[in-house]
Amino acid sequence: MAIGRTIRDEFDWPLFIAVSTIALFGVLNLYSATDGGTTSDAYIQQLYWLVLGFGVAALTAAIDYRHFERYGWLIYGACVLALILVFVLGKSVRGSTRWIALGGFSLQPSELMKIGLIIALGKYLHHDTKTGGRTLVDLIIPGLICALPMALVLLQPDLGTAMILAFIFGSVMMLTQLKLRSMVTLLATFVVAAPVTWFYLLKDYQKERITAFWGRLGGTQTDLLDSGWHTHQSLVAIGSGGLTGKGFTQGTQTRFRFLPDQHTDFPFPVWAEEHGFIGALLLISLYLFLVLWSLRVASQAKDRFGAVVAVGVGAMLFWQTVVNLGMVSGLLPVVGMTLPLFSYGGSSLLSTMLGLGLLMNVSMRRFSH
Amino acid sequence: MITLSQRREVGEFRKRYRWMALFVALVFGGIIVRVAQVQLFQRDRWSGIAQQNITKTLELPATRGVIRDVEGRVVASNRPSYDVYATPRLLESEDLDRIASLMGLTEEESSALEARIEGLPPERRTHQIQLYRDIDRDQLAALETHLAELPGLDIVTVPLRDYPYATLGAHLIGYLNEVNEDDLQAVGDLRAYRSGDRIGRNGLEKRYEALLKGSRGFRRMVVDARGRALEGARPDSLDVQMLKKPVPGHDIQLTLDMRLMEAFDRAFRPHPSGAAVVVDIHTGAIRALYSKPVYDPNEMSSGLSTRRYAELTGDPFRPLIDKTIYETYFPGSTFKVFTALAALEDAVVDPAQRVECTGFLKIGRQKFRCNKRHEWVDLYDAVVQSCNVYFWVLAEEVGIERINRFAEAFGFAERTGIGVNSEAKGFLATREWYEEHYGAFRIGYTLNTAIGQGNTRVTVLQLAMAYAAIANGGVLYVPQVVQNVRAPDGSLSETFEPRVKHDIGISAQHLDLIRRSLVDVVQDEDGTAYRARNKDGLPVAGKTGTAQVVSRKGRSEESSSAWYLDRSHGWFAGFAPADDPQVAFAVLVEHGGSGGASAAPIAMSVMQQYFGTQEEAE
Repeated sequence: MAIGRTIRDEFDWPLFIAVSTIALFGVLNLYSATDGGTTSDAYIQQLYWLVLGFGVAALTAAIDYRHFERYGWLIYGACVLALILVFVLGKSVRGSTRWIALGGFSLQPSELMKIGLIIALGKYLHHDTKTGGRTLVDLIIPGLICALPMALVLLQPDLGTAMILAFIFGSVMMLTQLKLRSMVTLLATFVVAAPVTWFYLLKDYQKERITAFWGRLGGTQTDLLDSGWHTHQSLVAIGSGGLTGKGFTQGTQTRFRFLPDQHTDFPFPVWAEEHGFIGALLLISLYLFLVLWSLRVASQAKDRFGAVVAVGVGAMLFWQTVVNLGMVSGLLPVVGMTLPLFSYGGSSLLSTMLGLGLLMNVSMRRFSH
Repeated sequence: MITLSQRREVGEFRKRYRWMALFVALVFGGIIVRVAQVQLFQRDRWSGIAQQNITKTLELPATRGVIRDVEGRVVASNRPSYDVYATPRLLESEDLDRIASLMGLTEEESSALEARIEGLPPERRTHQIQLYRDIDRDQLAALETHLAELPGLDIVTVPLRDYPYATLGAHLIGYLNEVNEDDLQAVGDLRAYRSGDRIGRNGLEKRYEALLKGSRGFRRMVVDARGRALEGARPDSLDVQMLKKPVPGHDIQLTLDMRLMEAFDRAFRPHPSGAAVVVDIHTGAIRALYSKPVYDPNEMSSGLSTRRYAELTGDPFRPLIDKTIYETYFPGSTFKVFTALAALEDAVVDPAQRVECTGFLKIGRQKFRCNKRHEWVDLYDAVVQSCNVYFWVLAEEVGIERINRFAEAFGFAERTGIGVNSEAKGFLATREWYEEHYGAFRIGYTLNTAIGQGNTRVTVLQLAMAYAAIANGGVLYVPQVVQNVRAPDGSLSETFEPRVKHDIGISAQHLDLIRRSLVDVVQDEDGTAYRARNKDGLPVAGKTGTAQVVSRKGRSEESSSAWYLDRSHGWFAGFAPADDPQVAFAVLVEHGGSGGASAAPIAMSVMQQYFGTQEEAE
């Protein structure tokens, strides 16, 4: 009875409504994106995953997050182990090994690793209280916590997820007070490392891609081959949507298959083409709300672990969203990156729901002692 | 009971949230600005591309108007040819090999094809480009069989220009040639032509390009990303025209009679070069405009190699030059009638007065030679026998100013206004011109002018028009080659009425005297064209002429044809039938020698055929 009252009073309705709305939009969008194609029942599968996801989130939210703190290293260790198992049991899709079969499902351990990293960093910072400012030496241990799974993910190779792990780490560490001198040193290292990387480490084709990308962004070059072609078609979809869009299931870029990976990496152009700027603004605002809300939850958290978890989940949502939207709108180069809650895909949805469950958890326990 | 860790102090984090929120808001703001830029400000551009994406446009070329002669014989029409087009984005590299093998390309050709496709800039890859033009039947059959498997490939039927009379009248009719940058500038409408289109390059094809061309149409299909046509799947957002029927060009009917042209071609067989014009004396309608030799319009339209072009320009008989309107010649004795008319009209001479021709005329220390000793001749005899001495004596009385004034009235030294191709003006030298160029004016210049030598230069067309004026009672017409223009539906859209340039205003009596003398040039035993007459056939009237050739400087005298190229040009200009003139003509045989022996027989024979068969037909 006591728990029931707690849930009713402390349940984070804004968070729940924002998440449900995005997920619902995602299913509708998926229906439109795959309508008439060979994967036209994908939206039903996505509904199953959503039900499962909400269940997982509810479960995660129900258990006091301090239990996750307690078993932090175990969770982190299990995730790393799963990553290692990928190389043993994994199946290869399009040249990279990311998946392991689990019964009838395929699981992507790198997705779970994001949550594992957030919990591990939370546990470390929870016990490593410093008020006088941190030096570079203080960054070594959390750095290693991040570097180990990052290296494993890079080996798959999955550049996009590795990048998100790094961004989560960076964002969480921004919570702590780094000394000015350390910041300057970091900056200086970067300034020195950048040209070294450019001239000695990058291969010519990689340099070409980068210059081609910036050329395209500056409008000086129209590279319509390979990834440039995808960005081009994505912009065509978004741009031709105009203010009000072409209407549900009426997007020509979508229906005539000009968009690449339109239900995984490029669902936003589908949405923007059919619902126009009004629809796009609504969707982007929901994400913005979600990220700001997670910062609010963090600021109200009763302890360091809760705060780190809330910021970590917020960062995960933020960076994935920004990289995906930046990529489809031609601001960033094309890397494989799904739009959280909105893209088709079980593992990505599950890890997002797990994170959101944790966020709800922290939010609901902001009044506890 | 599980022991949970202590709550830990969160003060270290407190200051950060605001900065993080600000950062998040700024980044999202940036994305919103970008999306707004793309969706609201660049919308038209991206919408255009989205529509292009899902449509494939097939060109529907217009059929060029047909050109017919006065009797409706086809002079220029179209035959179907098949062009191969490709949309490079939809072509896989295997497809290129496939195309190469189906078309039976050589190794070299197929690598050229590959290089061309690969060399295209990305933005051009979504547009159709022309690969091959006018492929043969075997290639067509092979490609059509496998067309369904090659979504990036299209075969377009294009009408190609065809000239059934080949070289006959080629200067006038002209030819087509690939459109170039200058043409587009000149037309001013960049959408009127595409690269690879053909444009009238010369003659009537050029003059009436706008009417003949017609306008292209297109058919659009809805296609998916792989270029497959989707029937009946037209999205609502697609607001473009799906079909535009091509509009054929206008048809043109000429005043020209190709049977007459063929008759000239046969009659000119013994001679390598020359020209002839036949004009209706009552309307100015041109019945024949013949120039020999001629280039082949089919060769010209496929683009000349530099070597071939050098060959054509170096040919001593100058096939590129239209000798009827672009080249000028001394009119020779054909000019004498205008000197005579000048004298008669201004009453300088009594036509009955006789002059003794002793075979030469001495003026000062200079001795001018006549072609023979004519004894006592009056004006009439002088025209019939072409006596130079009579006209020299006359010239002294008439003076160069009068001769020039009458020559101008008959249309010399002025463009006739035929309106096709470049036309030469010709030249009449004035007293002032001689003073300027020869230091001083001498009587000898007037004598030369009177007999059509000196510096008088005329085109064959000018001479024919002037003789038409003599035949019709003194009306100078503007020559016309087009009779009417018909719209694609067959209705007359334009009819060209006869255009009088001016009425020369010459007395009927004097004209009659000249006409009678011209009749006797052929009929009289002493006439210079007597031997060329149609015995028991059509009576033709005219004046012979033999024009000296300007010494050819800079040409190799060792050339085997040198002797030939120094020979005089032969003229015969007049009208037929002699008793009831219908047409006037001027025939020039380059290097034919005496006009009575070279040009007159051609005119006689052609006129005989022309009026002979016409009577049979009636």
